[in-house]
Amino acid sequence: MLALTSLAAVIVVRAAADEALPLMGPAPAFTLTTQDGARVSLHDLRGKVVALTFIYASCADTCPLLTAKMAGLQTRLGTDFGPRVFFASITVDPERDTPDVLKHYAHGHGADLRGWAFLTGAPAEIHEVAKRYGVYYKKSARGDVDHTFLTSLVDSRGMLRVQYLGVRFDPDEMLRDLRSLIRERQALGGARSER
Amino acid sequence: MITRRELLRGVTGVVGGLAWRPGRVLAEPSPETTRLRLYHSPSICTAPQYIVEGLLKADGFSEIKYVKTTVAGISKLLASGGVDVSLHFVAPLLIQLDAGDPVTVLGGVHPGCFELFGADRVRVIRDLNGKTVAITELGQPAHVFLSTMLAHVGLDPHKDVKFVEHPAAECKQLLAEGKVDAYLAFPPDTQELRARKIGHVVVNSTVDRPWSQYFCCMAAGHREFVRKHPIATKRALRAILKATDICALEPERAARALVDGGFTSRYDYALGTMKDVPYNKWRVYDPEDSLRFYGLRLHEARMVKSAPQKLIAQGTDWRFVNELKKELKS
Repeated sequence: MLALTSLAAVIVVRAAADEALPLMGPAPAFTLTTQDGARVSLHDLRGKVVALTFIYASCADTCPLLTAKMAGLQTRLGTDFGPRVFFASITVDPERDTPDVLKHYAHGHGADLRGWAFLTGAPAEIHEVAKRYGVYYKKSARGDVDHTFLTSLVDSRGMLRVQYLGVRFDPDEMLRDLRSLIRERQALGGARSER
Repeated sequence: MITRRELLRGVTGVVGGLAWRPGRVLAEPSPETTRLRLYHSPSICTAPQYIVEGLLKADGFSEIKYVKTTVAGISKLLASGGVDVSLHFVAPLLIQLDAGDPVTVLGGVHPGCFELFGADRVRVIRDLNGKTVAITELGQPAHVFLSTMLAHVGLDPHKDVKFVEHPAAECKQLLAEGKVDAYLAFPPDTQELRARKIGHVVVNSTVDRPWSQYFCCMAAGHREFVRKHPIATKRALRAILKATDICALEPERAARALVDGGFTSRYDYALGTMKDVPYNKWRVYDPEDSLRFYGLRLHEARMVKSAPQKLIAQGTDWRFVNELKKELKS
């Protein structure tokens, strides 16, 4: 009886863990400039699970916390990071965040640029991307940028699956979500795109 | 190498989600309207809808209008279609549903915000038996909430308490002068009464059970707006719930936005409200439980005729909030 109860509990837990993330619709497309000056689009990342954040380099308080949290996940993803999972951090301060500034910011946070791009663009491009992801930002007179901290997870087929608001989210939960999307990718034959 | 278990997981996923085939996946369409009207009343526990403008713009709304009203005027605005989607208090919403107003409740936003302030002679709710309570208007949220509290402790709000109507500023003054026995206040009045040490808190719905266990403020829309504009409704609710998270996660930023936006004048009271009100519960509490709890109390107080289940069946639509609970994590 005890064994049956335990088995039932295991099944329930596993079923919950395997519950697929919702499908919010196609992730809004964008083409922006990386820290190396190359142009990259979301479509180029098709086949990988993408975590998309909005930050700016001179942010002194909250952005570094978010970037540090993502850097921690980069490590925990191990060999999945890069080939299967890609991070993209888009600046909300394109006037100041040139590719060089973003490259310096990336190095300062220990970002592995084989799986992480820091993106900038013309102010109008950034405005459009932020708007399409539901990110609000506004530059203050002092020069800092008030913005929504919204991290979006995009699956390997370019579908927006879940968004995390703020920086106090549970990194374990995001890791579970990323791994769940990696499993989906494998089931869909996504491994082909690694070759 | 993919293990059998991983393969099964994948298969389950593919079969379970028909929409996973790219050809069958539909983009979330553009909202049916880019115009949204909300209200602006003196109460600031409804802060999410006051700091939501930028988020609404990010979600596709280009014409956002705030209609000024009193707290007592919110029900009329919502029923008449003067606002499209807005926050409103749970107890007055139930009275509206019972009256057949074309309103659809969309989800809970936060529990607790109102506080019952009493004179020294009032220590518990039952002490209000035979006493005088100041309210701004019969039927307005403070009167309705207080009636549910009276009913909960076995008092009859129609007979056991004398309600006197005065403007809010006078209500506070009457309590300060000891000319009334109690006053039920909403933020920022709650902050002000505490700061000025007027009366004492008899019930604080942010922490005192059972009130703290149910939503006080809920999101609702005009029924026709929700029916004709489901995409816009979901986007408006998404923006409001994001704003609710911001109130919880960044109270200083939210309080500053309230003051800068002209929705309230005192930053300290606004910040106190952001820190006191549990804005982090919209994913946790069940909105139906809140409607049922307050519906039963209002039924006991003979302020609604219908059973809660009927009101829930005819006046709610949880589709959007249920989707958003999965899509928006924090």
